[in-house]
Amino acid sequence: MALLEINALSVRFGGVAAVTDVSLVVNAGEIHGIIGPNGAGKTSLINAVTGMVAAHSGSIRFLGKEIAGVAPHLISSLGLGRTFQHVELFGDRSVFDNVLTGFYRHQSYGLLAAAFRLGKAGQSERKTREQARLLLEAFDLAAYAETRAGLLPFGIQKRVDIARALAAEPKLLLLDEPVSGMSEAEAEAAVTTMRKLAREHGITLVVVEHNMHVLMNLAERVIVLNQGRLLASGTPAEMQANTAVIEAYLGDAA
Amino acid sequence: MTWRIILQLALSGLSIGSIYALVGLALVLPFKASGIVNFAQGEIVTFGAYLALILSGLGLPYLAVVPLVLVGAAMFGMATERLLIRPIANQPEFTLVIVTFAIGFVIKAAIRLHWQDNTFSIDAPFVGPPLVLGALRLNPAYLVFILSTVVVVAALFLFFGYSKFGKAMRATALDPIAAKLMGIRIGSVFSAAWALSTMLGAFVGLLLAPVIGINPEIGHLILKGLVAAVIGGFSSLGGAVVGGLLLGLLETYAGAFFGATFKNLVPFGVLILLLLLRPQGLAGASSVRRV
Amino acid sequence: MRARVLLILAGLALLAALPLVATSYYLYLVELAMINVIVAVGLNLLSGNCGQISLCNASFMGIGAYCTALCTTHFGLPTLIALPASVVVSALLGAALGYPARRLSGLYLALTTLGFLELVGIVIEEFPDYTGGIRGLKVAKPDIFGLILQSNAALYFFVFVLTIAAVVVGANVQRSRYGRAFDAVRQSPFAAQALGIPVARVKVIAFSLNAAFAGFAGGLLASVVGFIDPPEFGILTSIQHITFIVVGGLGSITGSIVGAVALTALPEALRGVQEYAELIYGLILLGTLLFLPKGLVGLVARLEMLRPAKPLTEPPAKPPAKEPAYGAS
Repeated sequence: MALLEINALSVRFGGVAAVTDVSLVVNAGEIHGIIGPNGAGKTSLINAVTGMVAAHSGSIRFLGKEIAGVAPHLISSLGLGRTFQHVELFGDRSVFDNVLTGFYRHQSYGLLAAAFRLGKAGQSERKTREQARLLLEAFDLAAYAETRAGLLPFGIQKRVDIARALAAEPKLLLLDEPVSGMSEAEAEAAVTTMRKLAREHGITLVVVEHNMHVLMNLAERVIVLNQGRLLASGTPAEMQANTAVIEAYLGDAA
Repeated sequence: MTWRIILQLALSGLSIGSIYALVGLALVLPFKASGIVNFAQGEIVTFGAYLALILSGLGLPYLAVVPLVLVGAAMFGMATERLLIRPIANQPEFTLVIVTFAIGFVIKAAIRLHWQDNTFSIDAPFVGPPLVLGALRLNPAYLVFILSTVVVVAALFLFFGYSKFGKAMRATALDPIAAKLMGIRIGSVFSAAWALSTMLGAFVGLLLAPVIGINPEIGHLILKGLVAAVIGGFSSLGGAVVGGLLLGLLETYAGAFFGATFKNLVPFGVLILLLLLRPQGLAGASSVRRV
Repeated sequence: MRARVLLILAGLALLAALPLVATSYYLYLVELAMINVIVAVGLNLLSGNCGQISLCNASFMGIGAYCTALCTTHFGLPTLIALPASVVVSALLGAALGYPARRLSGLYLALTTLGFLELVGIVIEEFPDYTGGIRGLKVAKPDIFGLILQSNAALYFFVFVLTIAAVVVGANVQRSRYGRAFDAVRQSPFAAQALGIPVARVKVIAFSLNAAFAGFAGGLLASVVGFIDPPEFGILTSIQHITFIVVGGLGSITGSIVGAVALTALPEALRGVQEYAELIYGLILLGTLLFLPKGLVGLVARLEMLRPAKPLTEPPAKPPAKEPAYGAS
C-alpha cells in the first residue's frame, strides 16, 4: 500500500487554478521530489495535502485513509509532517522551546495535571525535555538551545524547523524548499541530513524544490509541475534530459 | 396598533438610526483606509460636543460653531494619525486595538478633569416644538438628523465616486502598495481618512449636543456605531449606513413592543449573532479571515 | 538562580508579616493588588501567550463575584464551596464564549468580547432580584469550615495564600505543553497545526482558563470587599486589566505580577492629585504602548542586553568520525 496517494488533485483560489489534475504516488521509505519553476503550484500542493487549503477536487489518501477535507492538526496526528518555505518558527521562544513544542502530540497529560504539576505531567515533561535535548544535539543545535529562534540566521532557522517537525515523529515529511536561502555548505549538510533521515530512520520524504541540482543528488523519483499541471515524472536524470521540462525551465536556470 | 404609531416609531427609529449610521461611517472609514478600528470614536463624538460648548460659550451662534468644530476635529484627527497611530502601525493587532481605547480614555479623562460629570446644554436652531404634519408630530431635531445623514452620505458618495482624491483613497484601501506605485501619497490618504472620520464623529457630537445635552457619557453610543458597521460587514460604507438605520428601527420597535429591557438587548444580541454567524455582515464580502 | 529564589522567599516572608505593621487600609490595598495579580496572570495566558484579545475580562470577574455572592449570601454555602463553584461557572462560560469565537481574530474577536461584556452588564442590571441590579449586592464574609473571617489578618492570609496558589498554577500551565501550545497558536497557527496542535480547541481552553482565573479573583473580591456593583465590571475595568499586562509585560508571569502591583499602587500614589488620576493612568497606558511595547519586563530585558554579551558563534566543528545520535525517539 502506498504511503501517500494523490489522485487527480485540483486546488483553486477563486478563479485561479493553482493545481490542476495532479497525481502522485509515494511509497514508504522513498525520497520523492516535486520540482517546478516558481508559481508552479508546489506550495499549494503541499498546503492541500496538509489540509491547510481546501482541495477543489480529487483525492488524497495517507496510509489508505482519505484525508482531503480533514482538519490539519488531525492530518499531522496521522503522521504527516511538514516544514515551511518561510520557516514559521515560534520566533520569540528559544530554539529549545520550539523543538519541545514539536513533541506536543506525544504528550498526553491534561490541563489539571499541568496546573497542579501532578506526577503524570512532571514525568512527561522530564522525558520530553530529554528527548528534545537529544534532538538538538543530533542537529548540531545544542549551542543555540537558549537563543531566541527569531534572532538566528535563516539557514539555522531552517535546521530548527526540520528538527521541530521531526519531534512529532512523522512517517512522511513534506519539506517545502528546505535549502532555499542556504549557503552551498549549509545546503550540502542539509541534503546529507535528509538522506540520513530517510535511510537510517525510515522517514519517507517528499521534497519540494525549484532547484533541480539539489534533487539530483537526493531524490529517487521526481515529478515536475508547471503552471499547476503535471508535466513529467521519472528519475532526476530522466527529467534533466526531458525537453519539455527544459523548456519550462528556460529562463529559470537551476 | 395604528398606522400613525407605526409611522411615528419609524421616524424615531430612522432618526436615531441616522446617528448610528454616521458613527458607523466614522468607524468604517479609517478601517478601510488603514485597517484600524478607532475605538476612541465615541470620545470623538464627546469631543465634538464639548468643543461646541467652548465655542458657544465664547458667544458664537450655533451655525458659526459648526464649521469651526469640524475644522478643529479634522486637525485633531490628522494629528492623532501622524503622532499616535502611524508610529505603531506595524505592531500586532492587539496593540492597535488597545491604543485607540487608550486615546479615548485620555480624551474622556481630560474632559472630566475640566468639566466633571455635569451636563451642559447649548442652543441650536433646530431645537423647538414638534412640527405637526397631518396626524404626525415631528420633532424637528429628528428631521435634522435624518436630513444631515442624507447630505453627508450624498457628499461622501460624490467625493469617493468622482473626486480625484476620493478615488485615490479608494485605490489605497484596495491595495496600498499598488496605490503607492501609482504615485498616490498614501500617508496623505491615511491622514485624510482619519480627518474625515474625526469630522464625522464631531459632527454627530454637534447634532446631539443641543438635543440630549453635553456630558462625558455621550461616547457610549460607539457601541451602536460598531453594530451598524458590523451589519455592513465593516467593509462597506453604504452597508454601515443601512446598518445604522436598521439598528435604529429595530431598537425603536423592540422598545415599543417589548419594553426597555428588550430594547437594550437588541444591539448586543444582533452584534453577537452577526459576528458568530455572518461576520461579513449583510453587505460585505466573504473575506473575513478564519483560521 | 539560587539568589532569585531566596529573593522571592524573602519577599513572601515580608508580605506574610505585613498584618503586624500595616493599618487595615494598607492591608486592604495589598489584598486588592493580590486579587489583581490573579486577574493579570489569567489574562496574560489568554492575551499575552495565546494572543487572543479579550475586552470582557471584567465580565468573568463579575460572574465569579456574583456567583460567590449568591452562593454564600443567598444559598448560605460555605466559601470553600462557593469559590470553586464560581471558578467552574466562570470556566464554563469562558468556554461558551470561546467556542463560537474560536475562528475569529483581531477586530471581530474584540467586538465579540465587547458584545459579551455588554450582554453580561445588561443581565446583571435586569435581574435585580438575584444580582441587586444597579444598587449592588452585599456579600457575607468568608466562611471557612464554619469559621467566619472577621479579622483583617485572617482575611489577608486567606487572600495571600490563594494568590500564591493561583500564581503557581498559572506558572505551571505556562511551562506545560499547554503554555507552549498557546504561544504556538499566537505566533504561527500554521506551524502549530502542522505539529498536531488543535488550534481552535487550544483557543477555547485559553478562554476558559482566563475566565476561571478572573472568576476566582472576582469571588475573592466579593468576599474581601463585602459589596459588589455593576460599574466594577464594565469596559473600564477590562481596559485596566489589559493595562496590567501591557505595562508589566505580555506573556510573562513576572510581568503580570509587576503590572498588577504597580497599577494598583498607582491610583493610591495619585491620591493627592485625585482629579488627575484618570488622565495620568490613560497617559501611562498610551505611553507604554507607544514606547515600551514589551512592558516593564521587556525594559529590564533590554537593559540586561546592554551588558557585554557572549558572541553568537558557530559551535566548533565536530570531528567527522562522530555520528550524531539521532536515536532520540
